[in-house]
Amino acid sequence: MAFRITVDGYSHTVEIVGRRPHLVVRIDGREHEVSATGTLEDGRQTIEIAGTPLHFARAHAGDGLVVRLNGRTFDTAIVDPRTEAEGAGGGLDHIRAPMPGSVVSVHRQQGEDVLRGEAIVTIESMKLQTALAAPRDGRIAALLRREGETFDKDEVIVRLEEAEEA
Amino acid sequence: MTMNKHLAATATSVSARLPFRKILIANRGEIACRVMHTLKELGIASVAIHHRVEARSRHVRMADEAIEIGGDTPVAAHLDIARIVAAAKACGADAIHPGYGFLSENARFAAAVAEAGIAFIGPDAETIRLMGDKISARNFAEAHGVPVAPSVMPSGDLAAFTAAAEKIGFPLLIKAAAGGGGKGMSIVRSATDLAEAARIASSEAQRYFGDGRIYAEVYVERPRHIEVQVLGDGEGNAIHLFERECSVQRRFQKIVEEAPAANLPAPLRDGICKAAVKLAAAARYKNAGTVEFILGADGRFFFLEMNTRLQVEHPVTEMITGVDLVRAQIEIAAGRGLPFAQDHVRVRGHAIECRICAEDPERGFLPETGTLRYLGVPEAPWLRFENALDAGQKITADFDSMLAKLVVHGGDRAEAIRRSVDALGELALLGVRTNTDYLARVLAHAAFGAGDLHTGFVAEHGAALAAGEPGPTELDAVLIAAALGFREFRDIAFGVPEPHATIGRWRN
Amino acid sequence: MRRIQSMISTSGAEFRRNDEHNRALARAFRERQEAARHIRPQRDLDRLFRQGKMRPRERIEKLLDPGTPFLELSSLAANMAYGGESPSASSIVGIGVVSGREVILRADDPTVKGGAWYPLTVKKIVRALDIAMENRLPVIHLCDSAGGFLQLQSELFPDRYMGGRIFRNQSILSKMGVKQLALVFGHCTAGGAYIPGLSDYNVIVRGTGAVFLGGPPLVKAATGEEVTVEELGGADMHTSVSGTCDYPAASEDEAIHIGREIVAQWDRPKKWDCQREAPEDPAYDPQEIYGILPDDIKKSFDMREIIARIVDGSRFHEYQPNYGTTLVCGFANIWGWKVGILANNGVLFNDSSLKGAHFIELCNQNNTPLVFLQNITGYMIGREYERKGITKDGAKMIMAQSCSAVPKFTVMCNGSFGAGNYGMCGRAFDGRLLFSWPNHQIGVMGGDQAANTLAEVKLNQMKRAGQVDQAEVDRVWEETRKAYQEQLSAYYSTSQLWDDGILDPVDTRNALGVAISASLNAPLGDPGYGVFRF
Repeated sequence: MAFRITVDGYSHTVEIVGRRPHLVVRIDGREHEVSATGTLEDGRQTIEIAGTPLHFARAHAGDGLVVRLNGRTFDTAIVDPRTEAEGAGGGLDHIRAPMPGSVVSVHRQQGEDVLRGEAIVTIESMKLQTALAAPRDGRIAALLRREGETFDKDEVIVRLEEAEEA
Repeated sequence: MTMNKHLAATATSVSARLPFRKILIANRGEIACRVMHTLKELGIASVAIHHRVEARSRHVRMADEAIEIGGDTPVAAHLDIARIVAAAKACGADAIHPGYGFLSENARFAAAVAEAGIAFIGPDAETIRLMGDKISARNFAEAHGVPVAPSVMPSGDLAAFTAAAEKIGFPLLIKAAAGGGGKGMSIVRSATDLAEAARIASSEAQRYFGDGRIYAEVYVERPRHIEVQVLGDGEGNAIHLFERECSVQRRFQKIVEEAPAANLPAPLRDGICKAAVKLAAAARYKNAGTVEFILGADGRFFFLEMNTRLQVEHPVTEMITGVDLVRAQIEIAAGRGLPFAQDHVRVRGHAIECRICAEDPERGFLPETGTLRYLGVPEAPWLRFENALDAGQKITADFDSMLAKLVVHGGDRAEAIRRSVDALGELALLGVRTNTDYLARVLAHAAFGAGDLHTGFVAEHGAALAAGEPGPTELDAVLIAAALGFREFRDIAFGVPEPHATIGRWRN
Repeated sequence: MRRIQSMISTSGAEFRRNDEHNRALARAFRERQEAARHIRPQRDLDRLFRQGKMRPRERIEKLLDPGTPFLELSSLAANMAYGGESPSASSIVGIGVVSGREVILRADDPTVKGGAWYPLTVKKIVRALDIAMENRLPVIHLCDSAGGFLQLQSELFPDRYMGGRIFRNQSILSKMGVKQLALVFGHCTAGGAYIPGLSDYNVIVRGTGAVFLGGPPLVKAATGEEVTVEELGGADMHTSVSGTCDYPAASEDEAIHIGREIVAQWDRPKKWDCQREAPEDPAYDPQEIYGILPDDIKKSFDMREIIARIVDGSRFHEYQPNYGTTLVCGFANIWGWKVGILANNGVLFNDSSLKGAHFIELCNQNNTPLVFLQNITGYMIGREYERKGITKDGAKMIMAQSCSAVPKFTVMCNGSFGAGNYGMCGRAFDGRLLFSWPNHQIGVMGGDQAANTLAEVKLNQMKRAGQVDQAEVDRVWEETRKAYQEQLSAYYSTSQLWDDGILDPVDTRNALGVAISASLNAPLGDPGYGVFRF
């Protein structure tokens, strides 16, 4: 397994090659020995790459880290493979009714591509309206209930399929 | 805040005789902290004011007393004259220091403070009003022999206009009196072109604005912004503390200031400083003020305006003169007169101030917001980091985007630049995008080093000042530094038990 | 501890001859291993690719922590069975590190008959789960199997150590608190369905993963019901309706990441405190083992030379150096851990047996794991030795060894014949792991001895019948010898899972390091012995 880390939006591959006597990482094919590795804390750090000290400051910001090194500031982030995999087609194929009720409105139609989190239908149950959102990126294979139709708990309301590559 | 040691050394026990026991600071942020620093040295109690949202901020914590001012927005609270004066009365403050910005140049505020029987640390309302109006200030300066940019007022008579314009000299800028947007505007470089240019400009002005009147003023090429720090006692006595250069600007705001100005011939500097003193004396100016000039490449300089308050960039003057300007302000406000004579003011070395702003230089210097996650400040006897920042603080659009000022002193300009670049490199203000790296590139630029400055510096060197692509070595260092900050990476890098970690990748 | 002073001349003709011989053996072993691991019919690889599946070794590589070792066990299981149809017994087993935890990985191999389980597959899985139990190693199952290989059901289903044992072991593991995670990449049919079913955690890949007791064809045949794989046992059904599976995954990659995250939630084991020093590489190059092992099993060599190329710093504290010299006993460290080593330097006599028994007891008193380096032709036979009680002295060694509480490891270095195999912790004695070198031979006796013995028996029968047919005697001798030669080989042993795999000798140190580390997960019991015959 390799890590993907972005610097100012550009993605790079970081692999762990060895740990003793020093951590060895491979970045885009280039190997580096890291002989002092600092701590996880925000703030100033000194590490050693190939025996040469490297001073920098680093802090968490948003989902990533800001690294300030050689008088320059870089925004970095680690790409979570699970999040990526989910976006690409994780989650469920079926959207089931969380409770019995009826469809109030239909936002997306059969055959349309949806992104994870996009509302597909809004249902009403016990006077409570809930939007049913796509659990993953995909294409709507079937809308099994129309506006005004009722359903029972756990009934499949929407069926998704893989979106074809453009 | 690291105070310059020679500056701190000026504090003596005179405070015992000052009539002020408690001073309210009608401001916030770094300048409020700056003022409090001097108050502490003088043994005067400080009162901070704040809006609800900034109740935990540094200036509030640093003050001996803090009063919340109500208001819809934080800025509104800091502009609420009635409430602030009431607060000062309620807490028994003897004086109000307005800092810069907010109400510092508000004549009504100065008047209200005076009416309440509280000393205003600044000039009186009348002077503020006089200098606050561009036209009246210009007329006043002109009347007292301070050079103002020559101009020819609008008229419909082209012949009279060209005759008057020619007297100003060249180059000249001709504008439509009613205009805007560059219509009817032209630069005239010689007398032979003037009549024709005026005719064209007038007809264009007529066409676009229905008003053929045109206006001419001196056109200053590669203008520099030079300003003079003055102190006046309100009795017609004034001295100067030399000049500052503030030519490096973006979006019409200063980002780098220095004192003294680079490559300024002594007679010219003398002339500018004397003009400033002349203006301050004529206005019977009281307190600290700044007279701003525009300086052309040809050595001509013209009055721009006078700021009747402490300037953001005052520390560079403090650093080269060893004078605590806030203390001088307080002593003058207390009726002590000028703290020293002109010939006691000496220049020692060179100082540069960089304004650290929450902004993105790569995207038109637009303001940025975020949360300050880490603040790493370089420390050295030759630098001051003026700020009111706390790690964890949210940087919002509520206030100005200036977060802090890095002020560095050096034996000469080259040393001040070198130290500034080093300090900027060391400074770490993480969690919100800032112009720190950009400032370092400005200072490291050859043109800056040569003192080849003008207000178009940022635009002229735009390409050279842009952040370049990092090289592979630097990029890898960044990636390693980043990787070691991610828990996901550390868990896998350091969570492997022995002997597996030592054996490493091995397959049998 | 003193360094062993090697007496080997690495420039001598004998060394060079041995080196060439043993390197050739190691090369041959690597080639067979390579073939078992990677050579598959294109048709099967194509099918895998079409299904969007990874090969099982890719799955393992992605699951393991980067830059860590993987000790594969029994890579040549079944290499001499089923006409070579079931490489590695259609299954991959090994010990590695996932999310910082030592685990045993067990993967079906869908590139062989759809991952169907042969009898030796079942044996290998049962053994993997035994290892998990003995060492309290969490198990990750990488499931992708069509189910039992029906043509051979009688050899894999009914008996005590057959199919059912897998599920019994899974249940006992769970009872012991040893965690199991199943990643369902493909089908888990019939019994195979219980693997995720009996795992504490499981993840199923949408589209390719399925779990059911009977697949669609069986359902149709039994009840006439027509049902798709997805409806019957797909990811969405099992994770949202039946609750048979815990986590749906969109892809194999995601399943692996979920799996790694699950393992990261497990408590880190508290190992027992085996004495450990900072590890040190051997002072002598392990590659020199090739030049030390003789090119003929009948030639002897000094096992201390082997020890010097396995243990830390080549340091060895020899116990009773002048007594019972055919059994070398002593303390050393392997990857830092203190171990007691018993190594054969000839046939076991009364004194060497007594020394061995005593040393084993010392190690048990001292909580020191035992490493047996076998090169044994047996206990000495003959009148004199029987009169001295060689049987009861050998029995003492077997008793002490059998009843040991400390972890035991065995390396079959050259030969293992007769009861020497028992005293030196052969397969029957529940050592934690047992490895063979490619040159190794094992049997109740050597091929020549067996041929001689059986020819002798035949000749006696003929003599009693009064008619001696020398050609027949020769035939018996030849056949016996041939059969023995084949069955004596390390490849036959490993094919039958009589060991946990063949090792290239240079890998021995790392293999033992991983093995010792794993063994420390299981708490150490108190030693207790039966009745020693004095």
